[in-house]
Amino acid sequence: MMNNLDYVELYVKKLKENPLIFNQQKRLIEAQMKGSSSLFKAIKGDDFKKNARVYLKKIGLI
Amino acid sequence: MNEKVAKLKNIYTIEDSTIIIKRELTELDIFVKDFLQVLKNHADYLICSGYVSIASGRTRGTEDVDILVQALDEKAFEKLFDDFCQNGFWCYQGDTAKEVYQYIKDLVSIRFARIDEIFPNIEFIPINQNKRIKFFEFNNPQKMRVKDFEFKVPPIEFEILYKEIILGSDKDLADARHLRAIFSDLIKKEKFKKFRDIIQNNDE
Repeated sequence: MMNNLDYVELYVKKLKENPLIFNQQKRLIEAQMKGSSSLFKAIKGDDFKKNARVYLKKIGLI
Repeated sequence: MNEKVAKLKNIYTIEDSTIIIKRELTELDIFVKDFLQVLKNHADYLICSGYVSIASGRTRGTEDVDILVQALDEKAFEKLFDDFCQNGFWCYQGDTAKEVYQYIKDLVSIRFARIDEIFPNIEFIPINQNKRIKFFEFNNPQKMRVKDFEFKVPPIEFEILYKEIILGSDKDLADARHLRAIFSDLIKKEKFKKFRDIIQNNDE
């Protein structure tokens, strides 16, 4: 059975065989960015920084 | 041309010691590029950790990009901070350089994101010569390029060992394995030996 590290190596092998897989990587990265962005739309507005900092304190980033 | 070289040329090439990754820019690259465009006017830098693997094709998301910057004096930092604010970024830790400078002085990271966004963010990591491992990689950069975006990262062997020896989470080990596999034709045993000594014989 493949573990996570075997999968990483298999992915690189496939990428070397077919660099068009870079396009899938781009889509995944951009989908994640879009997902993160829409998650925080609710706290936009005049008090964005204030509300963002409350959230960031809660998750321990500040 | 043998098959091995042909495959290598599909993914990346080396030109004047710069690793050129043959892919399109992502929105994450553009975010980092915009940040560096401001930073480079004020200070030298090194991008390290997850973004190095992602830039070279690792398929995973990230919420932050780690950038080492040599600690600046207060006046220089104020100019840099104001420039970030005027160019579409905000700082998690405060709205003025004065509020935030103590972090830099204490060598504590601060974070920047685009205005009205939280993620992705840049983890701005101030360093000085006392941070020996980070100071070494900072002073021995490897250039990498994607399209017209050129940036500095640690030597690939150093980045692999740092993730394997110092960081060591599942995510870091997977990043290290990715780098070992993608740059299998580039990485050199003797560099591993040299960098392993540096990493193991210095405290962070």
